[in-house]
Amino acid sequence: MTVREYLVPESLPEAVGLLGRHGPDLLVMSGGTVVMPLINEGISLPERVMSLRRAGLGGMERRGEVLAIGPMTTLTRLLAQDQVPLLREAARLTASWSVRNLATVGGNLFTPPRGGDVAVALLCLDASVRLAGARGERVLPLADFYTGHGTTACAADELLVEILVPMTQRTTAYLKFGRKEGNTPAVVTVAAAAEWDTAGRVREVRICLGAAGPHPIRAAAAEAAIAGSALEPASIGAAAAAAEAECRPLTDAVATEWYRRRMVGVFVRRALEQLAARHADGLGQA
Amino acid sequence: MSGVASRIVTFRVGDREVEVMVKPMTTLQAVLRYQLGYTAAKEGCRQGGCGSCTVLVDGEPLMSCLVPAEDVAGRQVTTLEVLAPDGDRLDPVQQAFLDHGAYQCGYCSPGMIMITKALLSHNPRPTREEIVDALAGNVCRCTGYRPILAAVASLAQ
Repeated sequence: MTVREYLVPESLPEAVGLLGRHGPDLLVMSGGTVVMPLINEGISLPERVMSLRRAGLGGMERRGEVLAIGPMTTLTRLLAQDQVPLLREAARLTASWSVRNLATVGGNLFTPPRGGDVAVALLCLDASVRLAGARGERVLPLADFYTGHGTTACAADELLVEILVPMTQRTTAYLKFGRKEGNTPAVVTVAAAAEWDTAGRVREVRICLGAAGPHPIRAAAAEAAIAGSALEPASIGAAAAAAEAECRPLTDAVATEWYRRRMVGVFVRRALEQLAARHADGLGQA
Repeated sequence: MSGVASRIVTFRVGDREVEVMVKPMTTLQAVLRYQLGYTAAKEGCRQGGCGSCTVLVDGEPLMSCLVPAEDVAGRQVTTLEVLAPDGDRLDPVQQAFLDHGAYQCGYCSPGMIMITKALLSHNPRPTREEIVDALAGNVCRCTGYRPILAAVASLAQ
């Protein structure tokens, strides 16, 4: 059985119409870096594939205190922007140049672990997503977007049409640990962002993990362990231990649950150390 | 149940215009190799993991195993064959690979050379770190990478 039809709509209304007409028989493809391997290997055999390449969903624009990112924006484009350093770091450590030229920001949000490295950064930045379908539009915090491993709140008749990143003053850090340096799936990915009070204590902190749960997750206990502290070794150690305890890593060909859990502790500690150093240097602000 | 919606796709490979009939979701790599006879781009992993199928589309490197052939309609594709069409005058990148022993079994070479062409066209004087970043998606199981990095670095001076 081969795919019977490849559809390339030229507008969002056309794409939404095709989705409504073909329903679950239609596989939606953005950059193709996840879908094409599944089709090449015969793992996924949809009747129809719809590419969003020409649906007008690219582009990136600043709207006041929000950066609006079109879901079809490539990771190469994300790497070239300089408004959000955390997203640049995440893009640099995701896939490789010739894959980033295809891979999209929106597609990354639908990539189950151990992919989704950009999604970890977006969750850390408290991004929201705008979904559109025949019934209208809605905006969801990214935290409410994920429902399980490979499943999201995006309904079968909806498309992701925009990613909204609040442009808050914050210090950020991003670390990805893989089995090799480039074009590699994550053992664990950590993104951290902090805002500080005038006394140099952490006022707001977000610590997000990839490959450490069924989807990108917030490490709430780790955040609680450092909120209000000055990010010194004791509080960093407590946060790393909390993240190690609360994460829910998976076992796969890249790493075991046991190993990933320990690496969560190590890389949360290193990310928070980097956050403290960057705050001291006044770097990594976005 | 209707049949498969094959389409005619036209694009350029080097200075040659090609026209192919493709079934939906046939990869650019498969079309180049099996329908057009351009065998330099290898069918390595078919997952975007090895880089051996790297070609340039409108000058940008892509893994051709991840691209439906229909997506390159009207575009310019550059494969290794295009660099040295008559076969006896090598491209400077090919010559540098030869001079530095960067070919061994040769399987990764077409992809390595195409990503190097793209790197040098964007950035004629890349640092070692920039070279490593650019080549990071291209796997070589023979050389240990040092001769390849040396070849690319020799072109960056």
